[in-house]
Amino acid sequence: MVAKLPLSAGDPRGPRRKRAGRSEARAGVLFALPWMTALVVFTFIPLVLTFVIAQAKFQIVGPPKWIGWDNYEAMWKDSAIWASVRVTATYALVSVPIKLVLALGLAMLLNRATALSGFYRTIFYLPFLMPAVAGSIVFMLLLTPGAGPVNMILGAFGLDPPDWLKDPHVALWTLIMLSLWPLGVETLVFLGGLQSIPKEISEAADLDSPRAWHKLVWITLPMITPVILFNMVIGIISSFQVFTQALVIGGTTGAPAESTLMYMVVLYRAAFRYFNVGYAAAMATVLFVTVLLLTLLIFHTAKSWVYYEGEGR
Amino acid sequence: MAYPTFAKPETLNRRSFLLGTAATVTATMTLPGAAFAQAKGQLLLWLPGGSDLFCKVQTGMLTDWTAKHKDLASAETVCGLGQDTAFNQALIGAITGGNPPDMSLLWDAPVSLGTQGAFLALDDMMAKSIISIDTWPGGLLASCQFKGKTYGLPVTAGIYSMWYNAEMFEAKGIKSDRASFPKTWVEMRALSKEFTVWDGDTLKVAGFVPHREAESLAIWSALNGGKLYDSANYKYTFDSEENIEMFNFFVDWLNEEYKGDINLVDRSGSFGSGYANGTTGQPAAFRESRLAGLHSGSWLMGDIYDPAPNFTRWDLAPHPVGPSGSATVSGVWPNWFVIPANSLNPQAAFDYLTYLSTEGAVTWFENVPDIPTNSLVKLAPPKILVDHRGEEFAKETTAFYSEQAKIVTPMWDSPVQGFGNDQLKLAIEKIYTKAATPKDALAEAQVASQAELDRVLAG
Repeated sequence: MVAKLPLSAGDPRGPRRKRAGRSEARAGVLFALPWMTALVVFTFIPLVLTFVIAQAKFQIVGPPKWIGWDNYEAMWKDSAIWASVRVTATYALVSVPIKLVLALGLAMLLNRATALSGFYRTIFYLPFLMPAVAGSIVFMLLLTPGAGPVNMILGAFGLDPPDWLKDPHVALWTLIMLSLWPLGVETLVFLGGLQSIPKEISEAADLDSPRAWHKLVWITLPMITPVILFNMVIGIISSFQVFTQALVIGGTTGAPAESTLMYMVVLYRAAFRYFNVGYAAAMATVLFVTVLLLTLLIFHTAKSWVYYEGEGR
Repeated sequence: MAYPTFAKPETLNRRSFLLGTAATVTATMTLPGAAFAQAKGQLLLWLPGGSDLFCKVQTGMLTDWTAKHKDLASAETVCGLGQDTAFNQALIGAITGGNPPDMSLLWDAPVSLGTQGAFLALDDMMAKSIISIDTWPGGLLASCQFKGKTYGLPVTAGIYSMWYNAEMFEAKGIKSDRASFPKTWVEMRALSKEFTVWDGDTLKVAGFVPHREAESLAIWSALNGGKLYDSANYKYTFDSEENIEMFNFFVDWLNEEYKGDINLVDRSGSFGSGYANGTTGQPAAFRESRLAGLHSGSWLMGDIYDPAPNFTRWDLAPHPVGPSGSATVSGVWPNWFVIPANSLNPQAAFDYLTYLSTEGAVTWFENVPDIPTNSLVKLAPPKILVDHRGEEFAKETTAFYSEQAKIVTPMWDSPVQGFGNDQLKLAIEKIYTKAATPKDALAEAQVASQAELDRVLAG
């Protein structure tokens, strides 16, 4: 049995405050109710339904038919799944670290107080506001072989530019390159982390060693490890869910020759091109579990490398 | 002096806030259903796309037909809802939402979605129809049929053939009459070399470019004595010897004449079809007299004058035959019409499709030259062709397509047609970019497509 905390014996306003507190709590719940309802209706219920539908043959039209683990078995045998896993894993393994390094570098530049700091922050954040579809189309035009400005410039320097989006050996690297363009959010998060480093620590580091990289390695990076962790987790989750750019550039077949075939594109085409919703739900379930396990693994290792102020490490 | 009076401001208390929220949610959930629900007696037609003229012609025909039927209150045609996946999504969404159109044009075989229960089987209505089922060409109707049920009508169709620029032929001193057109792939390949000119890595002019469109690949397979799908036994045959031989032939051709690099061809212009490249804006090489010939559908008769080519005399020829083939064939890309499940006016919709397949198809062909498929239709030459090339050429061309329609090879008849086409598209990409050999790429496509077919057939 949980003992109720006694109110202050000397406070005559106790019962009144308690009533007011209950009333406020009720109002709080009521005002949060629309959001909570939406969370349950649009997130929790679909999540549970996804697990259920993954056990069924469901084509949208007509009732679902229970088939147990068949969808998972079919996934195991589906060459498109394995192709997309290879592509998605490569994308995640390459793009996330590069993104982190570039965003940190940009944040460190922006952290220097200049008259144009605000302007630069806005400039670097702007690409994030551009719809991914529009951004992808712009890059497709920029990278068009022959008439595209990028190849024209490279050609003017005597270079032999590749077929950025048509060559199966190059297309994925182009996609990774495009993923590095909207770095605004990561940069701002890093900037927040950099600005939260106490000035006295920073100044003490400047006195201890004149070398900038000493300060970076021994002070800056350890102090912003929680921010690195955050950006890494978000980066990994979003790299597994990359969809729009891959669909616009590679279509539902991951052109050319499956080289840009992301897992989410295979999932999308299963659900909305072939209307094989049960299979798509099984794919979503596997993705959910994979990302969950990866995130838990990162959080587990984080204990050994993330520094939280006040933890005594 | 009159003082202004103020009403007591209404405060938003918790009760009114919640009541307001509830009312808004209720209205949001119920109004769209009421506003967009289809009514009995109001005939609704969906079209995935097409030109403004196409939409205008379709709208006009439906409006006129409805006006003659007093039991129908009105008609509405919704044009340009998006093609392929986007259109199918909208259609399936409307069907499952219980609010579908009464009929819809499809540019993808109706069997795939029909077997899933998305469309009504038309057999009972066809049995009572004034148009006998025998008046439909069997090969064409097969594209709508699965296990004895008919899920759509191929009202009109684009018929495939070879197109060539007669003026380019004559400039090279090559005979340009139809009878002299190459009869085999080997002859076509030899002729192609006569035209092809490279400037460094830029293809200035090409003869013919090896085929690489998945949707019409069944024609080329048949020309080489093969097939892509055996509908009688529900078996895909992508990796048959004839199909591997076909792609080996095409790759050899690519290596010999096009530097072995399909991307170099694409960089140089739009050599793959009679249309401009939608992404890069490169104009169609054929219209600029940079491509001597290509494989295309009869719909190009209407489209070729927008924008007009820089030459006047183009002509048509039957497809040449592959090394293992014995006779020429043609192929189709039909305009299928379906009646979605849950249609409120299925009989009226079917009656309209009956009209559209006969009288309507004539009007359709005169304005947009898609070939009517029902044998009851007597064709007049398309107006656009008469205007540009004269009555005689237009008549002769119409007769040519009527003949080609008789030798159509079976295609579009798999219940997983879209899936199979996607796999073929992928295989073609792998083959032409040298990411896989024809044998391996086709074997992979075969395994994937057969697995999907077996899954669907399992019920």
